[in-house]
Amino acid sequence: MGDSSSASYIRMVQHLIEKCIIFHMTQEECIEAISKHANIEPVITATVWKELEKENKEFFEEYARSRGDRMSEEETKQKILKIISDSSAATNSHN
Amino acid sequence: MLAVSPLTNSNVEKQGDMESFQLGLDEFSDVFSGENFLEGIDFEDLYVGIDDGDVLPDLEMDPEMLAEFSISGGEESSEVNKRREEEDRHSGSGLVSSTSNRSEEIVSIKSDESVAANPSPMKDEKRRRKSSSTTQSKGSQGKRKLKVDWTPELHRRFVQAVEQLGVDKAVPSRILELMGIDCLTRHNIASHLQKYRSHRKHLLVREAEAASWSQRRQNHGGVGGGGGGSKRDISPWPAPPTMGFPPQTPLQTFRPLHVWGHPSVNQSLLHMWPKHLVHSPPPPWATPPPPPPPWQPLHHRVTAPNALTPASLCFPQPLATTRLSTSAVRGIPPQAMYKVDQGIGVSNGQSDSLPPFDFHPSKESVDAAIGDVLLRPWLPLPLGLKPPSVESVMVELQHQGISKIPPTCSA
Repeated sequence: MGDSSSASYIRMVQHLIEKCIIFHMTQEECIEAISKHANIEPVITATVWKELEKENKEFFEEYARSRGDRMSEEETKQKILKIISDSSAATNSHN
Repeated sequence: MLAVSPLTNSNVEKQGDMESFQLGLDEFSDVFSGENFLEGIDFEDLYVGIDDGDVLPDLEMDPEMLAEFSISGGEESSEVNKRREEEDRHSGSGLVSSTSNRSEEIVSIKSDESVAANPSPMKDEKRRRKSSSTTQSKGSQGKRKLKVDWTPELHRRFVQAVEQLGVDKAVPSRILELMGIDCLTRHNIASHLQKYRSHRKHLLVREAEAASWSQRRQNHGGVGGGGGGSKRDISPWPAPPTMGFPPQTPLQTFRPLHVWGHPSVNQSLLHMWPKHLVHSPPPPWATPPPPPPPWQPLHHRVTAPNALTPASLCFPQPLATTRLSTSAVRGIPPQAMYKVDQGIGVSNGQSDSLPPFDFHPSKESVDAAIGDVLLRPWLPLPLGLKPPSVESVMVELQHQGISKIPPTCSA
């Protein structure tokens, strides 16, 4: 009985992780969101994530790679926004 | 003789002559090998039409066929070259006199049934080069780049070699070695590899996104904007009831991801590679359709606590799916879809629901998605990743100090 409830629990965690992956979240973000919204221990989420990664190595490799690409775009965007907001703040402070 | 005599004047009207000559050939083919007959034939015209193409027929054959061909081509080209020399000598004059010299060659050429010979003296140089390249086609690829026909079989070997080496570490020269096909150059492999890699990445990224909004796409009748939607072929899935469509979608298009180019069910899947369509090997993280999905056994265990059998899960759903036009796919609880739609769609306000690359997904949508899982844990896994074994997870957790899950003491 313990076994099947563990199994279903693990499956649920996997499900949660998959949902987060759909949102392109990082492992840390997943763990945090799942801990916050689902009250799952971070260590459990982390473990399940790690095991999933082992079983689905190529998927996670690609996922990380495509995230890497996206992140750099996003970071650039953020930087630009920051520059803009900084400069506008600077302009405002003159007035 | 009768039919072919007009041809001897030929060099001017080659095309027309060839056509009539061919007709003559057909009619008199049984008489053709007779030496008498050959005297009146201008063989130069025979090959005129074929002469024009830049691509010789043999270039598009499979490597195996090429091997066969080059052997016969070898015999033939030397004869053709011989004839060429003779034609040089006789050029301009009626070629009648030279035909008798050529008769033996012609007979043997005909018996080879090859059309690669190009007798025209004007294109002599070019053809000689080409015919000699024919003989070498199997080997060193001297000067020309043969057009490689990436048959599914060839592609499968390619992918095997790539996977053996590791996609990122796969170097064309090593791939070539592993494949062991002489007819491929490193260049062929390199360009094919490049296409393969970009295709894989493209598909993968798309599918990760498509997974969650595949529901929406189903609503639109599976014609689907973007992503794998248009290329999907829903039906071949044996679709055990526990398998809802979200995994179906990515899985179907993920299949090609793994070994792309293999012939299999879905001809329409990879529009980029119409010839090498799909294949059936398993996607990296999910088993192929015929075996039951990996989490099915898991699901059986799940049913006890949830008190919801997969069967009962499924039956009500099809009735309700008409509203959401997802009848193509079974096992989708429409309420869940609706909810997810609202959760995701509302926050993004786009028809495709998931934000293209939202680096910081909105908290509400994440919360809604998570909440949905908690409420309905029996839902099929959206990505259908291959689940880890329960034992290995438990062992790992024990190393971390957690002896049982769900943890009995609150965090």
